[in-house]
Amino acid sequence: MNAYAKPLPRTDVDTQPFWDGCKLHDLRAQRCSDCRRFRWPPQAFCPECYSWKFEWTRLAQTGKVATFVVVHYAAVAAFQPDLPYVVAHIVIDGTAGRVEIVSNVIGCPWQDVKVDMAVKAVFEDVTPDVTLAKFEPA
Amino acid sequence: MPEQAIKDKTAIAGIGWTAFTRGSGVRTLTLAAEASLNAVADAGLEVQHIDGIVSYFHKRPESQEVRELTQMLGIKNCNFQLYSDGGGGWNCAAVLSAAMLVHSGVCKNVLVFKAQNRYSEGRAARAERVHDVSGPDQFTMPFGQHHAAAQFGPHATAHMARYGTTSLDFAHLAVTERSHAMLNQKAMMRKPMTVADHQASRWIIYPFRLFDCCQETDGAVALVVTSAERARDLKHAPVYIMAGVGGTSQTAGWWETNGINTAPQLYEGAGIAPRDVSIAEIYDPFTFMCMTHLEDLGVVPKGEIGPWIRAGNNRLDGSLPVNTHGGLLSEGHIAGLNHFIEAVQQLRPEGVVDDLCEGTHTYDRATCRQVRDPQIALLCGECVDSAMLLRKA
Repeated sequence: MNAYAKPLPRTDVDTQPFWDGCKLHDLRAQRCSDCRRFRWPPQAFCPECYSWKFEWTRLAQTGKVATFVVVHYAAVAAFQPDLPYVVAHIVIDGTAGRVEIVSNVIGCPWQDVKVDMAVKAVFEDVTPDVTLAKFEPA
Repeated sequence: MPEQAIKDKTAIAGIGWTAFTRGSGVRTLTLAAEASLNAVADAGLEVQHIDGIVSYFHKRPESQEVRELTQMLGIKNCNFQLYSDGGGGWNCAAVLSAAMLVHSGVCKNVLVFKAQNRYSEGRAARAERVHDVSGPDQFTMPFGQHHAAAQFGPHATAHMARYGTTSLDFAHLAVTERSHAMLNQKAMMRKPMTVADHQASRWIIYPFRLFDCCQETDGAVALVVTSAERARDLKHAPVYIMAGVGGTSQTAGWWETNGINTAPQLYEGAGIAPRDVSIAEIYDPFTFMCMTHLEDLGVVPKGEIGPWIRAGNNRLDGSLPVNTHGGLLSEGHIAGLNHFIEAVQQLRPEGVVDDLCEGTHTYDRATCRQVRDPQIALLCGECVDSAMLLRKA
């Protein structure tokens, strides 16, 4: 088996639970225990009410494309075989627009990707330790 | 908010630059020193008059930090030095920092510089960084977002969906900036470009084609900020610093930048309105970024930038000439500090010195890029994370 050559996430104390969730094929984000707002990216306290109490919450596995680009030039050689590929900002359903994550939209021609398009998560176990949440048309 | 206390109290007294190339063949430190010595001489000062130095970087490897230059120039009394990680958003903040240092009395004459071997050293440095995927990068780089066009392209896609802006609008901006660069002896890209050339150029990262993307440049520029009072006794007429802002904050969506937050403070700080601006030297790493910056700075209504550009308002004889040197797109990418070199030239009584006409400016657009009698220049950095207003003496 060829070694996975693309960059892998270097997790930290705040982000580890998100990546652990991906490994279980779950999308997760923090939710403030006081004001009940979701937040992204992961951080130790709520940026709205400054409460330090939160719980990691399982999210819907669907969302909408907020905006996107289509990469036709590989700045990193390992991505060359994937060209052209879509990098999208995806707002996860049920988070009041507060969880917007970057991922790839796969499973359709790049010309079909539009702003506001509905997508659903598909999980790729790229190494024994790392799973990436990608998206395809819903 | 009242006018800023620094209004018209400081001035840019000297400007300097090196050649802009794809392969300087010298260290960034040497580039920094060359531009700095040129700026000091242009001001009519000596190196030992410099007692403060400011610069900034996006990624350290291809930039020149401050202490080494202080040492190389042999500066004996450096009262303050600052090297910020603000990247392309920080060009105006760098000059604002210098103005604040001078107005506060901490320094008398502050050198601001930006030096980089971004073409010859930047790519290799970036390739080495690819696997350092910590912090916010852990959520983007595993998915192949590695290029500035992928970082800023989402702004353009969102604006296109919301307001109907198109790649053809981008083309008109690229062509106009190229026409300005063709009148600029130091510009890297001086071959004519047509709208058809732009539209035929390959996708780099949609929605950006090749001709939507700026240059990667080896080179340096520098300027000297001093008090308005001292500047009046120096070699050139002062170009006064009216007001500035610098800092990041959040917006409602991808279709707008931090300019919607910073611009009102900027105009109030200078005591003017957007309609008072005569020329705009606007951060333009990609065509569209220049367009959203113009909207968010309030000089064009939100969503109307496409038709405004197509009508030629940004040309040298348009209602608001923009990037009169060719910008990052066609002059070269010195992190937007090169935009200050252009603004200062345009606002000096003698006008620009490196266009193609000699002696008196003719305003013949085959040779002359001097705008007719500009009074106030507007400048900004990436996402309008910093902005500044300058005025003619």
